[in-house]
Amino acid sequence: MKSLTKLTTVETKLLVREPGAVFSLLIPLFILLAFGGSITEGDTVLLPMAVTMAIAMVGVYLLPTTLATYREHGILRRLSVTPVRPGNLLTVQILLQLVLTVLAVVLLLVVGTGFLGAVVPSGTAFAVAFALGVASTFAIGLLLAALAPNGRSANGFGVLLFFPMSYLAGLMQPPEYMPEPLAVAGRFTPLGAMRESFHSAWSNGILEPLPLITMAAYAVVLSALAARYFRWE
Amino acid sequence: MAVIEVDELCKKYDDHVVLDRVSFSVEKGEVFGILGPNGAGKTTAVECVEGLRRPDSGTIRVLGSDPIDQSLELRERIGVQLQHTRLPETIKVWEALDLYASFYSRPRDWRELLEWWGLAEQRDTRFGRLSGGQKQRLFIALALVGDPEVAFLDELTTGLDPQARRATWELVERVRAEGVTVVLVSHFMDEVEELCDRVAVFDRGRVVALDTLAGLIDRVDPEYRMGFRLMDGGASPASAPEALLGNLPGVGSVSRTDDRVELVGRGDFATEVTAALARERLLVADLRIDGRSLDDAFIALTGHSFRATENGDGS
Repeated sequence: MKSLTKLTTVETKLLVREPGAVFSLLIPLFILLAFGGSITEGDTVLLPMAVTMAIAMVGVYLLPTTLATYREHGILRRLSVTPVRPGNLLTVQILLQLVLTVLAVVLLLVVGTGFLGAVVPSGTAFAVAFALGVASTFAIGLLLAALAPNGRSANGFGVLLFFPMSYLAGLMQPPEYMPEPLAVAGRFTPLGAMRESFHSAWSNGILEPLPLITMAAYAVVLSALAARYFRWE
Repeated sequence: MAVIEVDELCKKYDDHVVLDRVSFSVEKGEVFGILGPNGAGKTTAVECVEGLRRPDSGTIRVLGSDPIDQSLELRERIGVQLQHTRLPETIKVWEALDLYASFYSRPRDWRELLEWWGLAEQRDTRFGRLSGGQKQRLFIALALVGDPEVAFLDELTTGLDPQARRATWELVERVRAEGVTVVLVSHFMDEVEELCDRVAVFDRGRVVALDTLAGLIDRVDPEYRMGFRLMDGGASPASAPEALLGNLPGVGSVSRTDDRVELVGRGDFATEVTAALARERLLVADLRIDGRSLDDAFIALTGHSFRATENGDGS
């Protein structure tokens, strides 16, 4: 127990010192503020985009980079010759990144609804969309961490995935302005499904089943693959 | 009492034999060297003993238990410094020690280790900003923070400058003085000669010799050289000692250039020569004896030089 507390404390400090963590908090907020000038009273589009982006940055970019670096540097191996199991470090990291995601999202909600005049989303629908969104993006991150040979390539794959996924999801321009086939394909990507669900949470509070099933499917399949291919060294 | 017993250890990766019936035992309180060129199987053997790898066959006992099966209880009692391991760049020295201390049920006071290993000034320095020598000292400190009975140190001075290597060697002596059994993996002859009580010489996955340093060298009985300068300048023919020295037991060859005499021989020949010089009342200066080294022993034991295998075997 003492070691878990200590591990959590130290990992929290390391996460705070990680520039990537600060970026995941600030970039979505910056985008929200940059476009927030043109926001209209009762907007239901901009916050779902910003929230989706915040979750995706942690899941697709920060999580795999951190975990793959830990493996590359032999930190997981080093732990396996102590009385502490290296799995504890993974668990602590995933929980901390979850806390970071919650912080980033809360920051967006406070600024968006408090200062920019966006509406408050339906609580239940938001919670469901958040849970499935986190599960599917973290599953992508875990699979990247499992497959990438080192931290640098995990980072590279994350960036490489992030931009096309963001585009397809309608995070760079609203789907109405995208070519029809791409907009349809986007609904079946994890970020597209997440943005759509958040949009529902903001507009009428009624979630469509298709995006929820899409996110759940990604979460289950990708995390199973991640568990299958994860290497400790 | 044997702290580690390894019997007939075998390990293959695909078709490549990494360990071929490796056996050795380590006694309590000694510094045990595992010497050999890169790719000889040293690290694989030690990682099996640490419980990091599962051998294909053979038995291992560390402090009486099997490192694979009873590893939790065992991990409390061993300390490990691994090759090629790093810490997160931004972790501070004290945080790393404090964290690793919390893993063990009866850790040492890490503040004391900080002093001991000369890291007190680096207490708040981030890992990424430490010098190579400081990182290495931190790794040794982390290996010892659980107050282990056995410490494994793998290639601990690779990449260090000569001064930092010397300093690290002194610290290993200190660990031994504390009564900790040390298993030292190295591909440096001088390191093993300096630190180890007994050595297992690894070559191509096998233990080719296991003995004390003196024992290894005696067994091989390599040639060595001695030389000196004749004090009268070698001017008079009467002071020419070649014939006299050439007949002494163990002397292989004698050569002379002006006043300088060089001899090559085996066994105890250097003592014979100095005694003969004294009997003949020949005054000599600049007497030099090149000690018999482990280098020669290695060549004799394996039939090839240390460097040659290092370049030839990439695995």
